[in-house]
Amino acid sequence: MAAAKGSGAGRTARDLLHSLPRVSLINLRPNPGAKHREKRRGRGIHGGGKSGRGHKGQGQRGTRPRLGFEGGQTPFYLVIPKYGYNVGHSLRRQYQPLSLNRLQYLIDLGRVDPSEPIDLTQLVNARGITVQPQKRDYGIQLVEEGADIFSAKVNIEVQWTSELAIAAVEKNGGIVTTGFYDPISLAILCKPVPFFLRGQPIPKRMLPPEDLVPYYTDAKNRGYLADPAKVQEARLELARKYGYTLPDITKDELFQMLSTRKDPRQIFLGLAPGWLVNMAEKKILKPTDERLLSYYSS
Amino acid sequence: MAAMSALRRSWLSAPVPLAGSVSHFHAKPLRRKVDGMYVPDPQDQRTPEWQKGPRWEAKLFGRYGAASGVSPAQLWPDPARLREVREEEDTWYPPLADMQARIRQREEEERRIRLEREKLIAANMAQMPKMIEDWRREKQMQVEKQQAEAAWREQLLARAQEKFGHKLDHRSDKFQELLKEMEKEEKKKQKLAKKKLKAEKQGIEVGAGPAQATDSVGAAPPHATESSLA
Repeated sequence: MAAAKGSGAGRTARDLLHSLPRVSLINLRPNPGAKHREKRRGRGIHGGGKSGRGHKGQGQRGTRPRLGFEGGQTPFYLVIPKYGYNVGHSLRRQYQPLSLNRLQYLIDLGRVDPSEPIDLTQLVNARGITVQPQKRDYGIQLVEEGADIFSAKVNIEVQWTSELAIAAVEKNGGIVTTGFYDPISLAILCKPVPFFLRGQPIPKRMLPPEDLVPYYTDAKNRGYLADPAKVQEARLELARKYGYTLPDITKDELFQMLSTRKDPRQIFLGLAPGWLVNMAEKKILKPTDERLLSYYSS
Repeated sequence: MAAMSALRRSWLSAPVPLAGSVSHFHAKPLRRKVDGMYVPDPQDQRTPEWQKGPRWEAKLFGRYGAASGVSPAQLWPDPARLREVREEEDTWYPPLADMQARIRQREEEERRIRLEREKLIAANMAQMPKMIEDWRREKQMQVEKQQAEAAWREQLLARAQEKFGHKLDHRSDKFQELLKEMEKEEKKKQKLAKKKLKAEKQGIEVGAGPAQATDSVGAAPPHATESSLA
């Protein structure tokens, strides 16, 4: 607009543009430095040599066979038969191991407090274990290593155990519970603070998928969906099997702590689904709407 | 050469920066204030899309609490969204009792199939001794049959040798003729035997039991036919 109005510099620039040829394929060229001159082999004093391709044959002529070809013999990649060892590897659930040795170590160093129920939050905060729900981790498994030296009394919740690990914990008067967390709940349980900063209400914990229902309803695995009476029977039977006397936890001074369990739909101890934790104000907000309450309590 | 010297001179005469006048890189100050509250203007075109909407507002509430000015009521799903969530849960997340019932049903079905198969195997195994006995007997009979056939052939050859005075091949014409003759004789004998039987039946009418029709000398085993010998 300035040029049209007739300022001095504008006019000259417009005149210059008018006088120059239009931009076309004739006067376009690559940017300086955008092109390299191709290397020309075997020119000048290098004539008569092999031009860097070696002596005659497939190498010089560029007719080498394809990768993996073994000159007509059945190649290695076809000789070895396929077998379904890795079928569905990307869908398999992973449980990071937590050995009794490691648990004892964490307790001895004071990184985990055995006077409180131990779940994934405690263990992750203690940097005792790393769980990556986005990498198909479904929690942790309590493994037997260190069963002979384990001497702590704990109320621990894990996602998978073995029989001997249960026996080692219960021999000391402790409690093991196996509980399922769906990936979303698991991520929330492992990293509560980033979740609270998102300003969302705590969701319901989902039930296990159908193939895991038998595991978590079995009292032998101390499943969180099992009948408590049957769990007590299973505890006694395991004590008989391994030959130890089961300590009576009802007379224990920590009975209150040891008998604490989460609801199957609950993610955090003491926090119900539907509640909203605000870290900035140190407040808990609870819904009052009937529909919301009925949804979160179902 | 002149160009080279000019280049070197220009490089030497380049201004050397003094210590006090060095200008360092200064990053632009962050748009987001670290201390204060960052609330982007949703009307501003430069505000990215993900900083608009209820999700971001919930985040603001999570970070700054009531000071963010976000109403806490909007942090929970509204009735429409709640209905959607419930529908989704009803569709994709069956209750525990349903899952257990389905598992029990599947297990019972598997157990039923297994028991059926076990029953079938037991029944078949009960038949096993009898089947083995049958198989043994059949095999024994076959061996006996083969032996009888071999004996019959030898007998025939011996008779042929007796008749012609020298050994005969069983494919030779002479032997075949001999066989035919013998067959005729056999038929004749059978006819005679039948006639005899009829006469006896008509004449006496006494149930003396069936007479032996075949002669032991000319008796050929029923299975030893001409074709098998030829």
